[in-house]
Amino acid sequence: MKKVLLALVASMMMLLFAGCGSKETLKIYLPGEYMSDDLVPNFEKEYGCKVDVELFDSNEMMYTKLMAGDSYDVLIPSDYMIERLIKEDMLQKLDLSKISNMDVIVDSLKTSPLNDFDADNSYSVPYFWGTVGIVYNKNNVSIEDLENEGYGIFKDTKYKGQIYMYDSERDSFMIALKNLGYSMNTDSEEEISAAYDWLVELNKTMEPIFVTDEVIDNMAQGRKDLAIVYSGDAAYILDENEDMGFFTPEEGTNLWVDAMVIPKNASNVDLAHKFIDFVLTYDESYANTESVGYTSVNKAVYEAVTGADGLYEGNDAYIPRTDNANDEVFHDNEVIRKKISELWIKVKATN
Amino acid sequence: MIAIPMFLILLYAFTKEGNSVTRFAFSLVNFKRFLTDTVFLEVLYRSLRIAIETTVICILLGYPAAYYIAKSSETLKMRWVLLITLPTWINMLVRTYAWTGILQDDGIINSILGFFHFAPVKFMYTDFAVILGMVYNFLPFMIIQIYTSLTKMDVSLLEAAADLGANRRMSFLKVTLPLSMPGIISGITLVFLPAVSSFFIPRMLGGGNYVMVGTLIESQFLTAGDWNFGSAVSLVMAVIIMISMYITKKVDKGEQLEGGVK
Repeated sequence: MKKVLLALVASMMMLLFAGCGSKETLKIYLPGEYMSDDLVPNFEKEYGCKVDVELFDSNEMMYTKLMAGDSYDVLIPSDYMIERLIKEDMLQKLDLSKISNMDVIVDSLKTSPLNDFDADNSYSVPYFWGTVGIVYNKNNVSIEDLENEGYGIFKDTKYKGQIYMYDSERDSFMIALKNLGYSMNTDSEEEISAAYDWLVELNKTMEPIFVTDEVIDNMAQGRKDLAIVYSGDAAYILDENEDMGFFTPEEGTNLWVDAMVIPKNASNVDLAHKFIDFVLTYDESYANTESVGYTSVNKAVYEAVTGADGLYEGNDAYIPRTDNANDEVFHDNEVIRKKISELWIKVKATN
Repeated sequence: MIAIPMFLILLYAFTKEGNSVTRFAFSLVNFKRFLTDTVFLEVLYRSLRIAIETTVICILLGYPAAYYIAKSSETLKMRWVLLITLPTWINMLVRTYAWTGILQDDGIINSILGFFHFAPVKFMYTDFAVILGMVYNFLPFMIIQIYTSLTKMDVSLLEAAADLGANRRMSFLKVTLPLSMPGIISGITLVFLPAVSSFFIPRMLGGGNYVMVGTLIESQFLTAGDWNFGSAVSLVMAVIIMISMYITKKVDKGEQLEGGVK
């Protein structure tokens, strides 16, 4: 009896392994809460494969794992990180003939400055795009203050104890540099050190709380009056809480694109191309932007959700500003990157 | 297997950035940067202060609890131990997230306060919240350690003390406490170590600008990408911890000796 049972179990195991073996596996690595829950199951069904999803908190964290030798088939990092990965020869060139949906992409993403990091899509296909701005409680913050002070409102003691800062060195230094009238891609020591002083003073005088993704829930609940938020998260917050507004200061902001890339060490390149193409389809793009709140790169979807009766009609945060000369895209610069991250931990620790 | 990562940390800590496999530039620059910057020293001071406060509170709460459990009946004992270890079965991350819901400005406690028309109290993003989170997470380790050493104690020693005329307070101070000292010491180790290097609890309950040494190390590895500086900071921490362990061991031995002589 025991032997029969053992044989049964063994044969079942073999069946199980055989089943696994026939299925291809795609490994994707992307930011948390950045994809509709249905996308992966839909893709698995369509192509009869298995998808392993891993999530990261920041581009830098993703970079660390990649450097440690982890292998993935598709990554979704930001523009400046893609620039760095291209520079360091970590990505492989895409076979654009395998991506039939390339022509659906929004025009602004095919022109400078938004495509500066990879002008002819040799390495990357856009995923979501947007800006960084201020979410504010319309009942407690006057729009005049915002218009007059711009990012300076985060140092206006009238709003002391009422602010969330975003716990990211790039975004915080962007705000400080823009408020001081400098380029966020500056490599001037004095300008960076002035921005450092700006942030230290803010941390000392304004009782800010530095948060990352918690800002979404906290602002949707209206726990504070002012916060630095990515446009896509802001679109979600505005959708949840009608007291909240979105403001992009005239001083300029960070225009950004997150895009899909295939690293050099990918093991399933063909399936990776299929995945990228699948994400761009109208239905998947629509479901994705609907569930996440970030701006779609698919032209038809973008027009449908921002048009009359669209999902994000009249939602200021959903439509990225593309007509302000002060807005910039981040560029990777090793010297500044080190300098800023060294200063950032000191900004946070000074209080 | 254990030694290789340790060796790598040593190597990173004593070298400058940008090493190739074949060429190392040995340097003390990472240590200098950490130990000469007042901002980093403040971070170090804050971490030690929070960890010591957490440990002291854990002893003050843990000892009576362990004492009570050790004195209860066998079935009750099992139940108490189970209840105390139960929370540790759930991921620490989840339990800490739960506290944010309780302590939030519009969280459970403040809702109750509001119901009775009390002014809301700011709990989140304060020292209080961070220490509470740590005590909550690490208290079970303290209780279990002290409890174990108390149950191992020979009860006849207490009878002997009573025979010799010691009252309950005397026999506690002269017999029970010294004999449970090893439990307290290992409890201190199990609470102080994770508390001083914790980065998740301060970030969740203290906010991103509540920087402790654990946060500093984590950021050097995950965002700043400066593994050399990160390794140097971890090494400084390791040395501080080793010294404090050595001192506690010494104190422990001294007290046992003292107890023996008297």
